[in-house]
Amino acid sequence: MSEDQNKLQESVKQPTRRDFLRRTGEVSVASFVGAAGLLANAKDVQATTTWAEHFQKNYRLMTDQEKKESAERLEVRYSEEYGKKVTVDTSDAIDGVLFGYALNIQKCIGCRRCVKACVKENNQSRNNTQIEWIRVIRMEKGEFLKENMPKGYPPVEGEEYGVQVGGNAYSPAGVVLEGKHYYQPEKVPEKEAFYFPIQCMQCEKPPCVKVCPVRTTYREPDGIVVVDYNWCIGCRMCIGACPYWARRFNWGEPNLPKEEMNPVTHYLGNRPRMKGVVEKCTFCIQRTRKGRYTACIEVCPVGARKFGNLLDPDSEIRKVLDRKRVFRLKAEANTFPKFFYFVD
Amino acid sequence: MKSLFNLCLDMLKYGFKGDAKYMAWLGFLSFFVIFWVYGNYQQLAYGMAVTGLTDQVSWGIYLANFIFLVGFAAAAVTVVFPAYVYKHEGMHKVAVLGEMMAIAAVVMCILFVLNHMGRPDRLWHMIPYIGIYNWPNSMLTWDVLVLVGYLILNAVCGFYYLHQKYTKQPINKSWYIPLVFLAIAWAFSIHTVTAFLINTMPARPMWFHSMMPIRFIVTAFAAGPCVIVLVFLLVRKHTKLVIDDSVFNLLSTTITVCLGLALYLTLSEVVTEFYHPTEHALGLKYLIYGVQGLDKLVPFFWISIALMLGSFIMLLFPSIRKNLKILPFLCVAIFTGIWIEKGMGLLLPGFSPTPIGEMTEYYPTWIEIGNSLGNWAIGFIVLSVLVKGAVGVLVGDISYEKNQA
Amino acid sequence: MKTRLLKSVIIVAGFAMLSSASYAENKESKENKESKKETVCFESRDGRSQVVKREVKKGVPNVKCSSTTGGVLWWGDPFDGTVPMGAMPITADYTNEEAVVKPREKEIDKNKLLSVCTTACHNGEYVPVPTSMKPRKLTMHKDIVPDSMNLQHGRGGIWCLNCHSATNRSKLIDNFDNEISFNQPQKLCGKCHGPIYRDWRDGIHGKRIGMWQKGGKKRWWTCTECHNPHDVQHGTRNSGFAQLAPELAPEIPKGMKTTNHENHAHGDTPWWEGIFGGSHH
Repeated sequence: MSEDQNKLQESVKQPTRRDFLRRTGEVSVASFVGAAGLLANAKDVQATTTWAEHFQKNYRLMTDQEKKESAERLEVRYSEEYGKKVTVDTSDAIDGVLFGYALNIQKCIGCRRCVKACVKENNQSRNNTQIEWIRVIRMEKGEFLKENMPKGYPPVEGEEYGVQVGGNAYSPAGVVLEGKHYYQPEKVPEKEAFYFPIQCMQCEKPPCVKVCPVRTTYREPDGIVVVDYNWCIGCRMCIGACPYWARRFNWGEPNLPKEEMNPVTHYLGNRPRMKGVVEKCTFCIQRTRKGRYTACIEVCPVGARKFGNLLDPDSEIRKVLDRKRVFRLKAEANTFPKFFYFVD
Repeated sequence: MKSLFNLCLDMLKYGFKGDAKYMAWLGFLSFFVIFWVYGNYQQLAYGMAVTGLTDQVSWGIYLANFIFLVGFAAAAVTVVFPAYVYKHEGMHKVAVLGEMMAIAAVVMCILFVLNHMGRPDRLWHMIPYIGIYNWPNSMLTWDVLVLVGYLILNAVCGFYYLHQKYTKQPINKSWYIPLVFLAIAWAFSIHTVTAFLINTMPARPMWFHSMMPIRFIVTAFAAGPCVIVLVFLLVRKHTKLVIDDSVFNLLSTTITVCLGLALYLTLSEVVTEFYHPTEHALGLKYLIYGVQGLDKLVPFFWISIALMLGSFIMLLFPSIRKNLKILPFLCVAIFTGIWIEKGMGLLLPGFSPTPIGEMTEYYPTWIEIGNSLGNWAIGFIVLSVLVKGAVGVLVGDISYEKNQA
Repeated sequence: MKTRLLKSVIIVAGFAMLSSASYAENKESKENKESKKETVCFESRDGRSQVVKREVKKGVPNVKCSSTTGGVLWWGDPFDGTVPMGAMPITADYTNEEAVVKPREKEIDKNKLLSVCTTACHNGEYVPVPTSMKPRKLTMHKDIVPDSMNLQHGRGGIWCLNCHSATNRSKLIDNFDNEISFNQPQKLCGKCHGPIYRDWRDGIHGKRIGMWQKGGKKRWWTCTECHNPHDVQHGTRNSGFAQLAPELAPEIPKGMKTTNHENHAHGDTPWWEGIFGGSHH
């Protein structure tokens, strides 16, 4: 028995000091190398929101000093996150300015450059989810067809037409009722269609502002309807209330690649947003408050978009309103948009 | 105060104990809570991208359940109103159970709202003076006001009543009765305000009509009493509390009348919208027979109509209505039918098409479904514990003297 | 044995991660170097208005290009490479605006040499100045105007020498024999296209980028930057404005697999629609 026990003991070697040191050394090296490997592959540190940013007031009620501090905090956070010098502007509305916009649907060719230019300027999430503030709708112009005439109702015996409803009803004859959003022809404009870009109408009486329970979205003195992204609670009442489907939501953390990030931002405009907040077109507040045109105006290859100060009688927007046939979308909703459509 | 604290403790202890069937019921509900924990973690960590919601359909099953449950909360009035206004003796004895159910329903409403919000960590922004409370402009602030008020009212009324029974003291009718009347009126207001929440938006033509508040009230008073009947039947079967047959007859009559009204209003809506369908009728079209080939909601709608209409016709016969063996099945059918029609059947078509005409369909993800079921489970746990506790007080199993002994 | 194997696996894995990290860094810098090749996109007409992307300020490029269509989507500096437009022919308030244009003169001036010195055309002989204004068939410039007797502009009302100076090939000419710079084609085009010119002058027609304020500096797109005057009547083109490839449609929303429902043909109507009046949606 004891022999077996001895044999058993021999086969199980007792750890010696040498063994112990060697084993420890191996484990340390292994863990060091492993840790170094992990650190080398570690992504850039996502700057976390500080307590101060979390508990700041609504922007509209901040003093100038508080606005400055808030902007500085954001500049530090964004600069670290995107690896470039980011500025967060807090300039107020210019006195005596009320922004207006007019879009010439006679000219629009549906190229969607405005959509993409806006995305390049305003730091939207690029994928998962993709956010585009402007949506272009394709309105088909169909023909009234003789062969549709028998499709009327009720069908009359021996005659080929409908007494109550004509056969060309509910077809795109003339112009279609509902536009298409996902058109992708080879070339635009197509002969049988015209195009209708829609974005935030910057209403004088915005339904979105009225329903917001925390006043995070509000009208600024220059007429732009803005969102304080740090105040939004994400209840999405505003998205429900907007008759123009102009507002978007950050369902997840936005995906904005560093090289795509536009570092010139405004607190109420194109600064990078966070998950769970609403965003929308702000008439490029970071540009327009510094006197420059919006990104969509500048890119339109056919010059269909016009912009300016509605209170200045010499501005191009006032000239459009004076001379052209102008209309508002869903005017019966009494939202009084400052985004007009016109034809030549 | 000490007695109130003891009441709550005793109710909790009594509520979480029971026979094997009751514990199995609680265990079954806790199973859903596990998924709820995981689902809420996912949503808090990754945002609402884990749900099936989109910019096109931005309100989903969370708010669908919320709207339905506000109705259920208001339906406590079907018990309290007859008890105090008509002095219905049978109802008077069990009115407090209705109030307990209302508390559970409001708890569920709050849970669904928290799930719906993109930034629940910023809820403090709604507190007046610390944050900004945009009252009276925002209908949501009215909704928060009435729901919180209703919760407080029911808690005060219900627990005061239980406390007096617990300590064998008389009820001070001078302030209690007015408070109960206030609660009755308040119940109507919570569901009216919730209806105003959705029917004051011209951007959503499917909801933008004045019929919405009355539809909400009648469907609430048809669906809520269904659950109340089921709970009362269970209480009758498993506890010593005696619930009079007159209670069930009154409830089933309420259900019948309100279901009839609800069907009548549905008919009215269909005729009005489809006589000459404008573009504004597209939402309803999508629900009833599909638009542009998108028709995932159509079977749900027709099932709900079949359930409601079939149940209504059967309930017209007093022999069926008074038959407490058939009634539970009808109650389940009606509850399901109204949940479909008022929950998903009201909310989802409101977003298809979008205000600028895009048609999309929405599919809730498993996390959304898990969170919703978890919210219901938590609500039913609260309901079970509160109702059982209240029954314990009413039958005398729990009392202050026993506690002090 | 087992523990030793595990340790060696950990060490190897750690080294692998380290080397992959450095490899990734190397790959990144290599990719950066590769992408340093030029990005070129067009500002208005493809082929006539190319611009090269470069940095004007730290982190701000002069243009951002569309990777799908090759058009410029965004200007960092709207006045990059511009020159003053020169006086507007009609006095108005806007003459106090600072107006700049992208110059075409530099490119056109290359033709100056051809008009006098070269023997490159006309069978090696000196190119004569046209003596008569009467339209006749030309053998040159067929790439721009295929048939000089059928100019796709004016429906037989004008031909080459109505706009181009016969004596100075690098200038345009108007009806009063005034030479007009290629940087200011509006002085010529506006003579016939009065209402459009008025709208353009006031900023309603055409394209301007820069500062929206009255009196603010703007870069104006001149007539020929958008419209090809040799080609305006061409059947498939829009006032001399060629069709463009559109940018990509928005992503399909969650919950939808395709966007085929948009193309849904007006299908069968349910039986009860007959009661309320036909509607085939």
